[in-house]
Amino acid sequence: MMTAHNTLRLCHSGMDKRSLYAFELFLSRVGPNACQISDEESADVAFIDLDNELGPYLLEGHRLLYPARPLIVSARRPLTGKHPLTLEITKPVGLSAFSAALEQVRQLLPAGEASAPAAPAEPALPAAPPALDSRQPSADPISLLRQIEERLSTFYVGSMPDVDLDDLAARSAIYYTPEHFLQGVIARAIAHAREIQRPVRIDDPNGAALYLDPRSGLAYQARSANALRALAQLPTRGTVSLHRVETHDTPALESLAGRPFEALEWDIALWASRGRVPVGTHLDHPVRLLAWPNLTRLAVPPEAMRIAGLWSKGGISLRDTVRLLGVPQRYVFAFYSACLALGHVEQLSTPGAVAVARHNALAVGTAEAAAPPMRGLFKRILGKLLGARLGEAAAS
Amino acid sequence: MSHYKIIFAGPVGAGKTTAVTAASDIPPVRTDTAASDEVRDIKPQTTVALDYGAMKLGDGSTIHLYGTPGQERFDFMWEILTEGGIALVLLIDNSRGDPLKQLRFYLGAFSGFIRKTAVAVGVTHMDLQSSPSLADYQAELDRAGQPGVPVFEVDARSRRDVCLLIEAVLSVIDPVARA
Repeated sequence: MMTAHNTLRLCHSGMDKRSLYAFELFLSRVGPNACQISDEESADVAFIDLDNELGPYLLEGHRLLYPARPLIVSARRPLTGKHPLTLEITKPVGLSAFSAALEQVRQLLPAGEASAPAAPAEPALPAAPPALDSRQPSADPISLLRQIEERLSTFYVGSMPDVDLDDLAARSAIYYTPEHFLQGVIARAIAHAREIQRPVRIDDPNGAALYLDPRSGLAYQARSANALRALAQLPTRGTVSLHRVETHDTPALESLAGRPFEALEWDIALWASRGRVPVGTHLDHPVRLLAWPNLTRLAVPPEAMRIAGLWSKGGISLRDTVRLLGVPQRYVFAFYSACLALGHVEQLSTPGAVAVARHNALAVGTAEAAAPPMRGLFKRILGKLLGARLGEAAAS
Repeated sequence: MSHYKIIFAGPVGAGKTTAVTAASDIPPVRTDTAASDEVRDIKPQTTVALDYGAMKLGDGSTIHLYGTPGQERFDFMWEILTEGGIALVLLIDNSRGDPLKQLRFYLGAFSGFIRKTAVAVGVTHMDLQSSPSLADYQAELDRAGQPGVPVFEVDARSRRDVCLLIEAVLSVIDPVARA
């Protein structure tokens, strides 16, 4: 955590070089050893300008990726929702306010590690430093968006590196057995609930975790997203159990917000998969997309649109999907696993289908080499769309 | 200079004007007029020529967004508007009439354009009427010889929803293209 001098390590997101320079000047006036710029991984605290176009998205991203990390956010207007680890500074940001926020961060960090440096003398308050000026465009917004999306993608698809798919020993790492995970328990629970036409409850070692009501088709979760993800990522090994919902469950159920089974199964499958595919999946058999997942109402894993777009053209194998799109294997494998959990894909295994898949892969590969004249335009539009949808997702 | 267009089509009240407005970076140009026929029962104003919006891209270029008039008596406009279009976004209102019949009608009306480009279907007002389901739409598309078409539930007011629809249809046309 903090250095020997109790200097806070502070990371920032979304600043271009010019803004960063101005921000470092600002920090130098906060006080020696008060804080230093660090990389995102090792930071004690993150600073985010919420008025930046991507500010809200960055905020949500940090909360997802580093749920225990304090955040300092600056904004022209106070935030609507309060968060225990988020410290807010209203613009223009002054040295005293920033120093006070750093002191609060020290209090939030594990005890015994912090001792505050002397507070700086209060100079005349400067105008909002250039680093905090949201009107400055970032150096390469599309590249920045991609970086953010990639970092956030670990929440859904993990970080498993690509493996040599021709190495049988290495290839074993890409398979998992859904039935051994919460994914399998939920699938069984939904089938059972539909059969008996009564809500069921799934308990984890700490008590009721999920309620599934087949009459409304809604799932009610009594665990945070992070807790549920942790539960979903490891084999259950008999630690979860299935029960009928009884009368005494009703008060608990009424206090929870519901969401469609489909959305729960989608998330759980992505988390269980962590970039792997179910045992028995063939890497060279073509994938048939029976229906697009409802991506306006489900989490959109990285590159999901391009993967589905490719599969919509006919049978393409998982191996060829990775190759043609030039994306990490885990993106393709996680998306396939989630689609399979919802019944949106199937694999074809007839010799004819496999031959057609090879033909399709060659056809797309040829198109890739030829680079259609619209591709440059499409890239620019897709960059625009990515920014627009990420921005609104964060705002909502 | 090239004039790149994305076309929004669908029946009256499906949300075309709203979707163009949601995706546009400029205040949209609308040609609404007071409805004087059976449309008046659905909404007081209706589009008679077109809706126009624009997305400004990072390099300064523009993608033009056109919403077609929903009433079939203005169908002569549809061919004019699709000239030079790069993709079709078809919006269907799930809460009125026979949505699957509407889907069949618009797939047929724009079949030539779809053959040259691609289509994505956005189903609106599913919060008011959940049936037919997205699976029903998919089955209808399969029957119409259009498998692999993206079909999403959308709120036409949501920029994110509309952007996802556009992203999906472009991904069908060229999945290799990447932002």
